[in-house]
Amino acid sequence: MKRSLALVLILLLALAGLAAAQTRGGTLVAAWMQEPVGLDPHITSAMSSYQVLENVLDTLITLDAEQNLVPSLAHDWVVAEDGLSVTFHLREGVRFSNGKALTADDVVTVFERIMDPETGSGNAWRLAGVESVTAPDATTVVFELASPNPSLLGHLASFKALGIFDPAGVEDGTINTRPIGTGPFMITDFQPGTRVLLERNPYYWEDGLPYLDAVDIRIIGDETVRRSALISGDIDWAFAVPPQSVAELEARDDVVIDAVPAGAYYYMGVNLREGPLADPRVRQAIAFAINRENVGMAAEFGNAAITQDPIPSTSAWSFDYAPYDFDPERARALLAEAGYADGFEIEIMPTTFLPETIRAAQVVQADLAAVGITTTIRTLEWAEWLQEQGEGNYDTYICSWNGLIDPDDFFYAQHRTGEVFNFTGYSNPTVDQLLDEARVVTDFEARKDLYEDVNRAIVDDAPYIYFYNLLQIHAYHPDVQGFQSRADQAVRFVRTWLDR
Amino acid sequence: MSLSYLLRRLGSVLLVLFGVSLVTFAIIPLLPGSPARVTLGVQATPEAVATLERQMGLDRPLPVQYVSWVGGILTRGDFGTSLISRQPIAGEVTRRVPATLTLALAALLVGLAIALPAGIFAALKPGSPRDLGVSVFSQLGVSVPDFWMGILLILLFSETLGWFPSSGYRPLSDGLAPFLQHITLPALTAGIISGAIMTRFVRSALLEVLNQDYVRTAHAKGLPRGKVMRKHVLRNAAISIVTIVGLQMATLLSAVVVVEIIFAWPGLGQLALTATLQRDYPALQAAVLLSAVAFTVINLLTDLSYTFLDPRVSYT
Repeated sequence: MKRSLALVLILLLALAGLAAAQTRGGTLVAAWMQEPVGLDPHITSAMSSYQVLENVLDTLITLDAEQNLVPSLAHDWVVAEDGLSVTFHLREGVRFSNGKALTADDVVTVFERIMDPETGSGNAWRLAGVESVTAPDATTVVFELASPNPSLLGHLASFKALGIFDPAGVEDGTINTRPIGTGPFMITDFQPGTRVLLERNPYYWEDGLPYLDAVDIRIIGDETVRRSALISGDIDWAFAVPPQSVAELEARDDVVIDAVPAGAYYYMGVNLREGPLADPRVRQAIAFAINRENVGMAAEFGNAAITQDPIPSTSAWSFDYAPYDFDPERARALLAEAGYADGFEIEIMPTTFLPETIRAAQVVQADLAAVGITTTIRTLEWAEWLQEQGEGNYDTYICSWNGLIDPDDFFYAQHRTGEVFNFTGYSNPTVDQLLDEARVVTDFEARKDLYEDVNRAIVDDAPYIYFYNLLQIHAYHPDVQGFQSRADQAVRFVRTWLDR
Repeated sequence: MSLSYLLRRLGSVLLVLFGVSLVTFAIIPLLPGSPARVTLGVQATPEAVATLERQMGLDRPLPVQYVSWVGGILTRGDFGTSLISRQPIAGEVTRRVPATLTLALAALLVGLAIALPAGIFAALKPGSPRDLGVSVFSQLGVSVPDFWMGILLILLFSETLGWFPSSGYRPLSDGLAPFLQHITLPALTAGIISGAIMTRFVRSALLEVLNQDYVRTAHAKGLPRGKVMRKHVLRNAAISIVTIVGLQMATLLSAVVVVEIIFAWPGLGQLALTATLQRDYPALQAAVLLSAVAFTVINLLTDLSYTFLDPRVSYT
């Protein structure tokens, strides 16, 4: 008895020691690589904006670091047996950073706004199947669905586009620069192109959090300068460092490199609508002809998880289907079989917005030349690239998808016939049927089986030729504690503290 | 200088600005890509793009947009609202103009501090090894790209020596020390290059005057060398030097764009670049228009300064 009491005491002391070690206060100076493109969560689509909002808005539920659904503004939630409604019970006593109490009506107003076509939100599709959002009482919110949508919870948990803010900000226009949320920090200064200042939300609902007084976000676009700023101590934390410097920085004592394979992949999208690329054998030939290791070396200086299918190996949904090991002979044979033994000419469209896509394109160009396919690289800046891609004016493009969690995120919008983000023109009735079915099945194993078939079919048909999963790399000083790079690419400073 | 001359010059400035406003307004929306698409990203549905473009007012005919834009500027000083941040651009610009002006002025000072001594030093002994040395320096300075120079300075003074911060801006109102710390590297980057360019002009302006008969006469009548330099050479070379300084100041206002980007300096150049990449038409139009204003005003001031430097110049 005495011994166990002593043990408990020691444990308690240890816990107290841990708690005391977390220093409260201080300002973390963080460098972002791109400036937020507006902060209205319903309008923006920029990762840089969501990464700011990540610390300002709460979602109804959220994901822990292992990507499990956990409570946030809702302390629990119930999915109806038929899957046609989801009921959320809101935490009581939650306040916005302006002191106003959060009500179920606020939640309803926010969701009605994003679903309203007039809002023009690029994220409304994440609520597919939702017919209405209602508040039967002050702490209950009910989503009614036309058809079951198992990825709905994942979207609600992982996208700050679906975060809750004070709807009053829509009326007075502050939603664009200073959305008011219930999250650990509030935006107190936003200077486009330069700085976003986050200060502790005095009304934050999690006891004792956040530890930091403030996060001072600077926009340092040049990666070399960001690296220098980290080394010289001008900043404490960097969103990303140049991939070519990772090895050098890892060797230093005063920098921590925190990397994790993310739910993000780089790929080559192929326009299937006409010409040689409409033939699946030609696309398979291209998939065989490309040396992905070299693509990863050139694009990310080796800081990439090479893959042939989209879902990273760290995910519970990973399949690791890899039929296309580098094989130029096989590629030539497939081209000959398709009637293109003498090759043909196509264009590759990377974008300056993602310089790694340009480097990838150069490797792809060399690899394809080796099997007789002549390519021209047409590098466009982002605005023009988006237009050309959106209108289907390309043969192949190189880009990435980011922030993907549920398998539905990896396949549905990109590959189902006629879906808005199906830029390649891919259409396979079997895949469509499997995707629809997987949306209404809730059993994990059954769903996984369905997605395994989807994954296999899409990799075989090759509308996308997958290159690698991104490593989410953040670099910071060793005195920055309690931060963790996450597979969902979320940047959360709520538990970060400075050991100074 | 007569009043009517001044009015005529001001009139021509306004005419130029009107032209610039027309041209920028007509050309900028021709850039491929739309602000709505940039805002919505890869997830842009055609419906969402259309809705957002309507909200941004981009569905109105161009002349209507132009009239409401110019009207806003002339009547209320209103440059419109940023399509991306949805904030008034006038406020954005007002916040950024001081940063760019300070940087350009500081760079000009650095440039002059290099160009005047180096130019004079070289011109006094043309063809000598020291003239060659100055030429090599100025050739180097002209050839080095500013982004590279900036990164070298950061590597040396910020990363290795830790003397100056690698980026950021602190206004003078925050105190002299932080202001100087932050402005030194960007001002050196732009200033060294500008100095290299000006050195060559100072040298050739001086050489031209040094070869004039009146300079030889001044020497011949036994005036001390310093006095000849001050009273005859520099005074007469001043017009050419002021011209190049004026041009450099105007050039610097746009040349600091790259420097602003490297050093995360929140100036107009950065605004212009971001606005271009995001197709934020009103912000870009405002930035272009303001640059045009700065350019024409600086040119006007340069011209006017001639009358003070040289009594023979008079405008009627």
